[in-house]
Amino acid sequence: MDLKVIDNATCTFCGCVCDDIQLHADENRIHQAKKACVLGKAWFLNHTAERKYPDALIDGKEATLDEAIEAAAEHLYQADMPLVYGMSNTTCEAQRECVEMADHLGALLDSHTSL
Amino acid sequence: MTCTLGEVKNRADFIVYWGGNPAECHPRHFTKYALMPKSQFLPRGRKDRTMVLVDIRETKSVKASDVFLQVRPGKDFELITVLRAMIKDQPISEAQIAETGLSVEQLQDFVARMKAARFGVFFFGMGLSMTRGKHMNSAALLTLAAEMNAFTKFVAMPMRGHGNVTGADVIMRWQTGYPFGISFNRGYPRYNPGEFSTVDVLVRGDTDCAFIIGADPGATMPKPAIEHLKRVPTIVLDPHVTHTSKMARVHITTAPAGISAPGTAYRMDEIPLPLRPALESPYPSDEEVVRRIKETILKKPDWMGERPQMLTTQV
Ligand code: SF4
Repeated sequence: MDLKVIDNATCTFCGCVCDDIQLHADENRIHQAKKACVLGKAWFLNHTAERKYPDALIDGKEATLDEAIEAAAEHLYQADMPLVYGMSNTTCEAQRECVEMADHLGALLDSHTSL
Repeated sequence: MTCTLGEVKNRADFIVYWGGNPAECHPRHFTKYALMPKSQFLPRGRKDRTMVLVDIRETKSVKASDVFLQVRPGKDFELITVLRAMIKDQPISEAQIAETGLSVEQLQDFVARMKAARFGVFFFGMGLSMTRGKHMNSAALLTLAAEMNAFTKFVAMPMRGHGNVTGADVIMRWQTGYPFGISFNRGYPRYNPGEFSTVDVLVRGDTDCAFIIGADPGATMPKPAIEHLKRVPTIVLDPHVTHTSKMARVHITTAPAGISAPGTAYRMDEIPLPLRPALESPYPSDEEVVRRIKETILKKPDWMGERPQMLTTQV
């Protein structure tokens, strides 16, 4: 089992976004998160690369990614006033896609900030 | 009027945390940025800095503070207004000071310290911006910081939580000109928090399909909002099956950002930082899934201008 060491990894658990974390990881999980605080450690160590959940769920039943993307697009397309919301625990790249999608849909767009 | 955490680290000798509990919510804020670091301008680190905590109750952060001001709950705005008057030597009645829950001496001491600082900073948390007065409180504090610049350098910065919320603000500002609470229903962005902010939209029932990414409103929002999410088709993208996923029509599992999805995240002072994922995920990234949904939508015939850009019947 190879242990990978990643220097200067970034923790996004809180707004401090510490970018000096040293991670020790194998294929499956992160074993150590040096310099991270308790919250950051718990966040890093709680995730695994395992397939814990189904790829997708449609109406509560397991589905493939392709089916789910199709279903999501159809729901959004059919709606007169869709809402795109959230975007905190994700990357800026994904956020940019969300904004573009909301633009095409004529949708409402909002984040956690408004709470 | 704000600055980066780098400036705080190197220069700020007077730190005020207002309505927040950094010791527990932003554990490394003290050590990495605001209190401990030594610098050219603050060679003795913590000893060269003064920290004042303003909050309604004693939290763990009190131990790290030099002065703790326990403001009466819901009286932040009044306190800020009193301080704004006091720094300008305007008359204040004793009743007005008593209302804040603090004594004249405490406030005089606070004002003296603010004025004596070389570089002061207000970090304000949800205890200020989410309680009675809400954004008016934040606005008042920003005004106080601006007015303090008549005497010395002063800045204010919100303590953002929740991963990359700062990034969401920045990206929406960049793309639409507004930070949140946006509607594209007329084909161009309009901004109106209160009308277009999610809680209000959901409570009023003003949406007929919800797309939720990187959030779990099912666990955090008020009940009427959740009830509405159950009524309309909801789509969730999340690394876990969340409360919201359980009431959703479509859930798609994605790779957690920063753990196994690469990308960029913004720090609370709006500095973008690259993510260095450590694990390979069996799931696609949020970015990829949203892009594919968007592309699927774009293949369908364009209806902008044909359909009513509003709800014709309440859901
Ligand atoms: S390591 Fe701790 S302080 Fe730093 S971003 Fe992560 S949770 Fe926040």
